[in-house]
Parts: sequence; C-alpha cells; structure tokens
Amino acid sequence: MKSTGFFRELARIVGEDGVLWRPEDLMLYEYDALSSVRQPDAVVFPRTTEQVVQIVKLAKRHNQPVVARGAGTGLSGGSVAAEGGIVVGFSRMKQILEIDLENQRARVQPGVVNLDLTLAVTDDGYYFAPDPSSQKACTIGGNVAENSGGPHTLAYGVTTNHVLALEVVLPDGEVIHTGAGHWDRPGYDLTGLFVGSEGTLGIVTEVTVRLSRKPEAVKTLLAIYDQIVAATRTVAAITARGITPAALEMMDGFTLRAVEEATHAGYPMDCAAVLLIEMEGLKEAVEEHADEVEAVCRENQAREVRRAKSAEERDLLWKGRKNAFGAIGRISPSYYVQDGVIPRTRLPEMLEFIGSIEKKYGLRIGNIFHAGDGNLHPLIMYDSRHSEQSARVLEAAKEIMGRCVEMGGSITGEHGVGREKINLMPLIFSDDDLEMMRRIKSFFNPLGRLNPGKLLPTGKMCGELRVQAGAGGVL
Amino acid sequence: MTLAVESWRMELASLVGESRVVTEPEARAALAADGKVPNCVVYPPTAEQVAAVLRYAAEHDLAVIPCRNGTKLSTGNPLRRYDLALSLKELNQIWHYEPADLTISVEPGMKLGDFQHFVGRDGLWLPLDPCGGARASIGGIIAANAAGPLRQGFGGPRDMLLGLKIATTDGKIVKTGGRVVKNVAGYDLGKLLIGSYGTLGVIVEASLKLYPRPAERVTFTMRAGTLATVRDLRRSILRSPFDALRLAMLDSTATRLVRGTAQADERGDAEVWVEVGGSRRVIARCERDLGQLSRAAGAPLERLEAGEAVAAWDHISDLSAWLQGVYRDVIVLKAALPIATGEEFLGHAQQQAEAERIPVASFAQVGAGIIHFCLLQEKLTAGLEGLISRTRKAAVDLGGTLVIEHCPTQLKGRLDVWGAAGDDFEAMRKMKSAWDPKGILVPGRFVGGL
Repeated sequence: MKSTGFFRELARIVGEDGVLWRPEDLMLYEYDALSSVRQPDAVVFPRTTEQVVQIVKLAKRHNQPVVARGAGTGLSGGSVAAEGGIVVGFSRMKQILEIDLENQRARVQPGVVNLDLTLAVTDDGYYFAPDPSSQKACTIGGNVAENSGGPHTLAYGVTTNHVLALEVVLPDGEVIHTGAGHWDRPGYDLTGLFVGSEGTLGIVTEVTVRLSRKPEAVKTLLAIYDQIVAATRTVAAITARGITPAALEMMDGFTLRAVEEATHAGYPMDCAAVLLIEMEGLKEAVEEHADEVEAVCRENQAREVRRAKSAEERDLLWKGRKNAFGAIGRISPSYYVQDGVIPRTRLPEMLEFIGSIEKKYGLRIGNIFHAGDGNLHPLIMYDSRHSEQSARVLEAAKEIMGRCVEMGGSITGEHGVGREKINLMPLIFSDDDLEMMRRIKSFFNPLGRLNPGKLLPTGKMCGELRVQAGAGGVL
Repeated sequence: MTLAVESWRMELASLVGESRVVTEPEARAALAADGKVPNCVVYPPTAEQVAAVLRYAAEHDLAVIPCRNGTKLSTGNPLRRYDLALSLKELNQIWHYEPADLTISVEPGMKLGDFQHFVGRDGLWLPLDPCGGARASIGGIIAANAAGPLRQGFGGPRDMLLGLKIATTDGKIVKTGGRVVKNVAGYDLGKLLIGSYGTLGVIVEASLKLYPRPAERVTFTMRAGTLATVRDLRRSILRSPFDALRLAMLDSTATRLVRGTAQADERGDAEVWVEVGGSRRVIARCERDLGQLSRAAGAPLERLEAGEAVAAWDHISDLSAWLQGVYRDVIVLKAALPIATGEEFLGHAQQQAEAERIPVASFAQVGAGIIHFCLLQEKLTAGLEGLISRTRKAAVDLGGTLVIEHCPTQLKGRLDVWGAAGDDFEAMRKMKSAWDPKGILVPGRFVGGL
C-alpha cells in the first residue's frame, strides 16, 4: 500500500476523479480475461499524452511499475499488474482524432474500441481489418500491445499489418513518434517492434492505422461434417486449390452444441464438426471461389454445405463463433483457452493428438480453431475449485503446446505471451534468442518498470508453472 | 596485399575454407561500393560460418557488407570504411517447403527468379517485383524492404515475412518469429531487420508466406492529359470494388521510355497503368469497370498486349538499373507520401525541374504514395543539389519523405541520401548499438550515418 501522498501526486496529474486506490475499487483491475493475479496499488485514467508523461515520470521517481491497460479483455495476463504499481487505464483516451479516407488511414487514441473505429467509417465503405472476437470491447491500444488477430486475419493479416505510426511514451517520459502516415519511411521499423511488445518497451498514446475498403461481396458457407478429421483435411485442400478465404474457422461438435444452446445461430446439433468459411471481394471472384470451396468440402466428405442467404444469417453464424468462449462458460465452471499455432496441413494429426490428451488427463477439451491459419484454441474445461484438476489442466496444456512446437508451430498466434506463456518461451526460443530480446528490452526499459513479469522469462521462473485457485484460476 | 590483410585472409580461410576467401581484384571490384573496393570477399557456405566470420570481423574491427549480386550496393550514404564483402551466394537452399501450408523457408542467397521458378511449379509465388528484378536475392530484398508496383495488391516484404534467422556480430544465430503464418511470441525483431540495409545483422534464413498465383494477369492503360485527370483516375480506381495488383502513373517521358516509342524530350500524355488478375470472368468485370471510370475521366482505355506488359513492368520495377543503361548519370529520387498528395508533389517537382531545365521522368505507384522522380542526366550538371533539396522539401511539406535511391557517388557526400531523421532517431541508434555495438556492419550507410 502506497502513502496517501503518492495518490495525491497522481490526483494532481489527472484530477481527483481520475485515480482509484481503495481496495474495493482496485478489485476489477486484478483481472484480465485469463485470470486474476493481484491488485495494482493505483489505477489512473489520463486524458492526454502529457498526463501519461507525468504519470510515467512520477512512477520513475517512486520506482513503481507501470502497466498500460485497455479494456482488460486480454487472454494472457498482459494488462494485469503482476508486481503491483500503477495501472494506466486508457478509458478516457478514446477519441478518434482524425479520419482521413483519401489517405486510407485514421489517427486514434489507444482507448478507442476496435469496433467503434469500424463503425465510424462503415458508411463510407471502409473498416479496420483486425477483428478479434472481443472487438466490441477491446481497444486499439490493446490490439497494438498484443498484435491481436481475429478470424479475418487469414486474408488480411494481424494488427501489425494495419498500423502505420505510433506515438510512444518511453519509461523516462520521453515521447517519440515512430513510423509515418505513409509507406517506406527510411529507418528502423520501430513501429513493427513496438506492436506486440506487450507494453514492455513503451506506452502507446496514439496510433495511426490503415483503413481498408469494404468488399463488394461476401459469401459465408457452413460446411457440416460427421467426422472431425474430414473437416480438418478440407482446410489444406482449400488452400491447395489456390483459394485464400477471408476466414476459415472450425468448431467441433461439442463446442458447437454449447454455442447453439447459447446463441441459437442455426448450427446443426448432431454433427462432429463444422467449418465456417467466408469469401470476400469482387462479386465474380467470390461466386467462383464459393462454388470451388463447396466442391472441395463435398470431396472431403462434408455432409452438407449451407450458404448464408442474408446478412442476418451471416451475422448470426458469426455471433455464434465470436461468443463461443462465453458459451463454454455456461457449461463448465472454468476453462483454459490455448492459442497454439501449427502448419495447417498438420491439423488432422493435431486433432488426434488433442483427443489422446483428453483421454490421458481425463479432461474435456473443446476445439475451436482459426483453422485457415492453423491457429488453435483448444478449450480445456475444468473446475478451478479443485486444485488437482487445475494442475492436470496445466500439464495437458503444456503437452499440447509442446506438440505445436514440435510440428514447427508457435505457442501463441494472437493472445500474446504475457504472464501465461512466459515459461513456455524456452520451448521455441534458444538462450541466444531470448538474450537478444532482453538486450532490446534493456535499451528501452532498463529498470524493467514497464509491465514487469511479462513476455520474457527471467532466470528464476524458468521451468516452473504456478497454480492458483481463482476465477480463471490457472496462473 | 598488406601484411594485415594477408593475416586476416588466412584466419578467415581457416573459418570458411581456403577457396572461399577471395582476394582477386576482379571479384573484389565486382562488389565495390561508392568507389570503395573491399580487401577481400568471403563466401561462407553455412549460417554458422556467416556468424563465425562476423565474430572474427567484430573482434578485428573489420567493416563488413553483406551482399549477393550487388543490386543494392550503391544505396545509401557513402560508406565510412569497407574491408570485407560477405557474399551470401552459397547460402542458396530451400528448407521446409509445404505448398499447401503456403509457407517456405529459404536462405538469403537465393535469387528471386530461381525462387519464383521453384514455387511456381505449385502455382504459387512471392508477389514482389523489387528493384534488381529476378537477380535480386531474397536476403537483399528483405534487408532493403524492396517492394515494386505489386505492393498495390499484396503489400511489401514486411507483410510476407514470418520469421528470420539472423547471424549477429557476436557470432550467434538469433531466431525471431517462426514458420507459421500467425505468431506473436516474443518481440518481432524481424521487423527491425526489414529495411535495415544490413546494418544490424546478417539474414541467414527467412520464412515467408506464399500466395496463389493469379490465373491470368492483364494490364490496362489509360491516357491522362493532366495531373488532375491522374488524380481522378487514382481516386476512382482506389474506390472501385476490384483490387488492382499493380497501379502506376507514368508521365509523358516515362511513358515513351517504357513503350520505347520515341525520344524522351517529345511532348505527350501521362498514362495510368492498372494490372488486374484472376479468372477470365473476373478480368472481364475489371475491364468493364475500368472502361466506365476511364470514360468518366476522359482518359481512353487500352488493353496492353501481354508481352509488352511484362517487359514494361520489368523496366518499371528495376527502374534505376534500366535508366542507367540509357542515362549514365541518372538520379532516382523516391518520394514516399500520403497517398492523396502524390499528384500535388509531382506538380511541384516537375515545375522545379523545368525551371532548372533538367529533363525528368516520373513513375508513381499512385495507390501507395510512392513516386520515383528521375533526373535524366547523362552527366552531372549545376543546379542539381538545389533541385533535389527543393524537391525533398516539397515531399516533407506534404507529410512525406524523400530518399535518393540512386545517384552518382560524387553527389552523395554533398546531400544526405535519406533526409532528416525524426524524434525516434535516438531509439534507432540504441537498436544499432544493441545489435552491432562495434559498428562493423555497413558503417555509415544508413539513416543518420548509422
């Protein structure tokens, strides 16, 4: 607990109503969407970059950690104050500063909600391409920190492919501007380094993003399978045909039934898996591709291929998919979402492996994948009140991640390393790799006050995973 | 050969083998840069040996330039020193290629032409048309973030890179990213290497996304009398529902040069070129839309014959090398601008050149805000520096940057190739010292003398 003098200094920067420090007010900020860790000492809500600078300088004087936080929807513990200190909440920096359609860009404050930016330009025929499932709540600042993805990243790339420039406050209070409002600014691509650095190198206070033009036509197909392996085989068959859908999602029957009961999206209740496939672009191209994709699905034993007949039907299918994690929450007291990536041709093998893990650990695992780019979200269901179960969950998760790595994949496709996967980093990076990352970090954040305990393992935590009973519970 | 050179030649030979350290004048001269000839050329055959050579160079403070065919050796500010050419010619392998995954890992010395041929058998390609064309190496393309007109449809190397292995000056091999299309584990160090011109580390393996090659590609041209018409066409094309693969504006001189029709000093019309791709049906639809918008702008549409289109785009992609064949002392300026300001910049730049009576040709990727403004010099004339400075100011005033992409060496010391650095320069300097604390990699070439 910090002294009241410290809180008063914070209040002098952001106003009395811009600081929280009572334990009951801080409770919410011990969580993100993954788990609870611990309370910060204070939460501040700046309105300007200058206020962020003042906060960072104050934190430096008091040697306090600083953790930036958007909407707290992250799934790797990135925005929780692992070592206490000050959480900088961006809910008051949510202005869209400039929309510049002719230059296909927008300048926003980090607290702008992802979907709100799209809604602001949709009538003019544009949108912001990264579409995490949490896009109704998550912020663009958070997307930048985590380099977030979403179902449509298959065709359009992740956040880093849509960020042009950043304003960043460094831990000593210096403000720098990286990138530019155009392509090819000469110099090192610091924007690319900051995107996905999980708040450990600097605090982003302004983002210039690229806006994309909405496609003329969209077709959404639902391919229904009696065998899950047939669905996974279809995925590589589609890309092998030279078609890149805008999105290519897979849900297994178990997950699907939970989703259907929660959303009533019209998913079949009796199948083993579905693929949700979306084609976007020029009307003629979309029609051709939809026909071809349907043929590929049937060649790969799809029982039925349905096409969404209206925008409403399409929205409903997506609503089901995007609310899937919530739907699982209805049937299991706790669940642990994985975020592994594998080459898409290895999907059939991976599913078999996950099946064997279910048996080995006696756990139910729902499979919900951004199948098109091999990004897996196995949902391990359990009850966090049983610490023995939690331990099994961690072991099962670790084995799945290990298998992803063996297949040439990654431990995170879009959720970030955060606190959650910090101990898995040595699975994919050597000591030399990690040492270079530490060196880069030490140049920006030498005292480690920015978001400590995230992204990079320190010597002492290697090899150990901690279990803590709680809401999400596993970390 | 001095005694010192002979001593490190022998030590390098012990690292990579006698035959892979070359001191013959011709081999060295072929990799000269800015009039500086390296003392020797090393051809390490493995990534580990690249790292070993770098460690040796760092220990002995030898200035190193990583290279392959030398298509970009003349880029940037004059080198402060140059001891060793580190040729990646022998790192030429493909690893981990699975066509249905649309990913591949490749060593840096592979030439783009060979690479395209290899993946082309599966109907795939890397949609890049950088300077150097088929001769450009994969490593060089990434190190220079070299994108040509295809960036309109596909973005640049930055959007295609999945992971890198990098040999560092402390003799290690550092991995960043991975081989899968989605991966956010750890810092994205690969981004720092893209466009770093070899100043941070040496790329020894790159994992890339591949793309299905369009069934057919067709180029249409539209005759635009004025920059106002170019602007109208650019706006309507960018707003139209089809995606152009390439989109370029050629001023009247550029048009004649590309079409090879007549002398560059004749008057004529600027043209807007659009390449579209897909099935016959998709192309027919694009042609209909283009017909409508070109009629609305009063710019007659023409479908270019396939052979002519291929040759023309090759010239446009490899602009500096091609123009050098025609104008020995050509200067190529590259402005990068907010998209909507391209025509305004061109107006200023053309006016300036006219006042100095310097003939110019402009090639603009108008949908991406990239403009190549070429001063067609057979030999250097007075007034050039002033013209370049004023042209740069026009770009900066419009919110852009201007880089001297190609110019005769003697001009380089007098003008900064890259232009002024921003308030993030100190952070860039830190990155340079994190990777290359002794400053042996391509010293002096990059932004701010990094």
